[in-house]
Amino acid sequence: MTEESPNQAIPINASQPIGEVLVYIEQCLGELQPVGLELLGAGRQLADKLERPLSAIVLGYNLGDIPKTIIAQGADKVYVADHPDLEQYRTLPYRRVICNWLEQMEVEPHTMLLGSTTTGRDLAPRIAAHFTTGLTADTTELDIGPYEHKGGSDPSKIGLYANCLYAIRPSFGESLKARILGPWKNPQMATTRPGVMIPLKLDWERHGEIIPIPVNLLQEDYRLVVEETFREVNKGVNLTQADVIVSGGYGLGGPDGFELLNQLAACFDNAAVGASRKVVDCGWVPYVHQVGQTGKTVRPKVYIACGISGAIQHRVGMQNSDLIIAINKDPDAPIFKFAHHGIVGDLYQVIPEMIRQLKKNSNTSSTKEVSSIV
Amino acid sequence: MSGITDIIVLIKQVPDTTSKAGLNPDGTIDRARAKRMLNPFDRYALQAALHVKKTYGGKVTALSMGPPPAVEILLEAIEHGADQGYLLSDRRLAASDTLATAYALHKCILYLGKFDLLFTGLQTTDGDTAQVGPQIAERLDLSQVTYCEGFSIQNGKLHARRIIEGGHQDVITELPALVTVANAYHTLEYKTIRGARLAQELLRDEALKNQYIHTITLDDVNADPELCGLKGSPTIVAHTDKVGQIGGQCTMHQGKSADILIKEIMDCTNIKEFAKQ
Repeated sequence: MTEESPNQAIPINASQPIGEVLVYIEQCLGELQPVGLELLGAGRQLADKLERPLSAIVLGYNLGDIPKTIIAQGADKVYVADHPDLEQYRTLPYRRVICNWLEQMEVEPHTMLLGSTTTGRDLAPRIAAHFTTGLTADTTELDIGPYEHKGGSDPSKIGLYANCLYAIRPSFGESLKARILGPWKNPQMATTRPGVMIPLKLDWERHGEIIPIPVNLLQEDYRLVVEETFREVNKGVNLTQADVIVSGGYGLGGPDGFELLNQLAACFDNAAVGASRKVVDCGWVPYVHQVGQTGKTVRPKVYIACGISGAIQHRVGMQNSDLIIAINKDPDAPIFKFAHHGIVGDLYQVIPEMIRQLKKNSNTSSTKEVSSIV
Repeated sequence: MSGITDIIVLIKQVPDTTSKAGLNPDGTIDRARAKRMLNPFDRYALQAALHVKKTYGGKVTALSMGPPPAVEILLEAIEHGADQGYLLSDRRLAASDTLATAYALHKCILYLGKFDLLFTGLQTTDGDTAQVGPQIAERLDLSQVTYCEGFSIQNGKLHARRIIEGGHQDVITELPALVTVANAYHTLEYKTIRGARLAQELLRDEALKNQYIHTITLDDVNADPELCGLKGSPTIVAHTDKVGQIGGQCTMHQGKSADILIKEIMDCTNIKEFAKQ
C-alpha cells in the first residue's frame, strides 16, 4: 500500500456517481446578498473541475427576477422555493425545505456551500447535522483534489479518494491554514467568508434551468416567529462590504472620538466605522462595530486604525486588509509591527488633517451633511 | 410565573491566547504549555443563563466536554452562581470534530433530562466554527436563536433580538430552545459571595465537590463511541500550512507636522482613490 503510487491506485470512490455543486443563495427582503454571488464564482470553478453542473438554491417569497439573476451570475440550475411562509429567513422552515429537497434528489450534491454570515452559520450546521455530514466553517479557499488517507484510528477510512472538496480555512489566530476534508460522505459542506471569493461577471446570455421545489412545512416548523427585521444598510456598519474601514480604539480617549471617525469615514465612498473590543466593552460604540477575534473578520482595501494598540485579538480580524494605516502616539505600539504605514502622532491633529486633505482632493465643493454613523 | 425550571449552559475551556505562555513565536499554540481559560464567548452565555435564573427562576447547570482540567471552568461557573456542573471527559472523544462533539453533548443533555433553555457562546476562540450549538439543536430537534443580543421571557416564550447582517431581527420562539449568545450581550462580571465561598469549599472537600461537579463518561450518557472522536468525525484536518508572517515592513511617518505626515500618506498610498469625488 505504501509503495503504491497514488496515480496508479484506483480511488475508493471511483465508481460512485458525482453529484452537482450546490450553492445556497442568501436573500434578505428580496435583495440578493453579495456572499451568494461570491459563492457562485467559487462554486463555478469547483463544478468545472468536477465536470458537474453548478446549482443554486434560493428560498423566499415573491422572488421575481432573482432566479434569473442567479443564472446570469453563473448557475446552471436554480432550485426555487417561493412561498409566503418563507418570506423571512427562519431556521426551521428553511432547514425543512432544503433537507426535504436534498433527500428527493437522485444523487445528493457533491458539495454544498453557504456564506459564513449570520444566516449561513445558523443554517449550515443544521443541514450538516441532519445528514451527519462534514462541515467546515469560515473557509477562505476551496478546491477539488485527491486525498490518500493513510491511517488514524479508523482503518475503514484508509485509501485513496478522488474529487475531494478541499475546504481551506485559517486557524489558530490565522497563523496556520488548515485544509479540511471529508470525502466519506456527501454533500461535503463548507461555509465561506463573505468578501473573499470573486463573483462572476453578470451575463444575461447565460442559460440555465429554473426548477420550483416543493414547500411542505410541518406544524413544528412554526415554533419561531419573526416580529420585525431592522436593516441599517446605510448606517456604515456593514463592515464586511466596506472598501475602507476607519477603526477606533481606546486611544480615542472617549466615545466622542467616534464623531471624528464618522467624519473621516464620510470622506470615502464606501466606508464603515470599526472598533476594538475594548471600546465596545466600554460601551462607546455597539458591538456591530467590533473587529477582531470576538467580532468581525474584515479585509477591506484600506483599514485605518486610530488609537488601536494592535493586540493579537484585534489583529486576526483585520490583518488581511490590503492596506493598513495605523495612527498611534506610542511608537512602540504592536500595531506598527504589521501595519503598512504608521503615523506616530496625536489622533486629534492627524485625523482632522487627513479629512482636510481628502476633501481638498475631491473635485466638488459640496459638503453634504452626513448623518451620524455610530 | 415564567415556568422556567432548568437552564443548561454549555461552556468550554480553551488555551489562553491573551497570555504569552504557550504561544509559539509563529502564533501557533502549544497546548501543553498554554494557560487555560473559559472560552471568552462563553462568558456571555453564562451571564445570560444566570440572568434567567435571577430574573425568572430555575436552576443553572453548566455542561462542558474536555480533559479533566476543564473542571476549573465548572468551578468558575459555580463561583458566578451556577448550581452544578457536569464534565463529559472520555479519551474516546479525542479529535472529535463539530459533528462528533455535538453528538456527544446532545447525549449528555438527554442524560440531564428536561430543560427550558440551552445557552451556548457564539463560538469558541480555539475552533471558531459556531457550529456545535446548532448541530446540537438539530439532534434535539430544538428551535434556535443564534446571535442573540438580548431577550426576555413572556408567557413561557422567549422574545429575543438577534444580530443579522447590517441590522437586527426580533423573534419569538417557543421553549425549549437553543440560544447562542452574541457578545453584544452583557459579559460575566461578578462572582456571587455565596458562589465564591462554595467554590472554595469544593476545592478543599473532594466529597462535597463530587456532589456539585459530576465527571461523566460516554458510557454514563449512553453514547455510541463509534459516533465520537476521530471515528465519529466526518472531517479531518488533512494538511496545515504556516501563513507567512504578515507585515514587518511598516513605513513609519513621524516627527513632522500633521499636514506633512498626511501628505506623505497621500503620496505613497492609494487612499485618495476611495475618497468621494
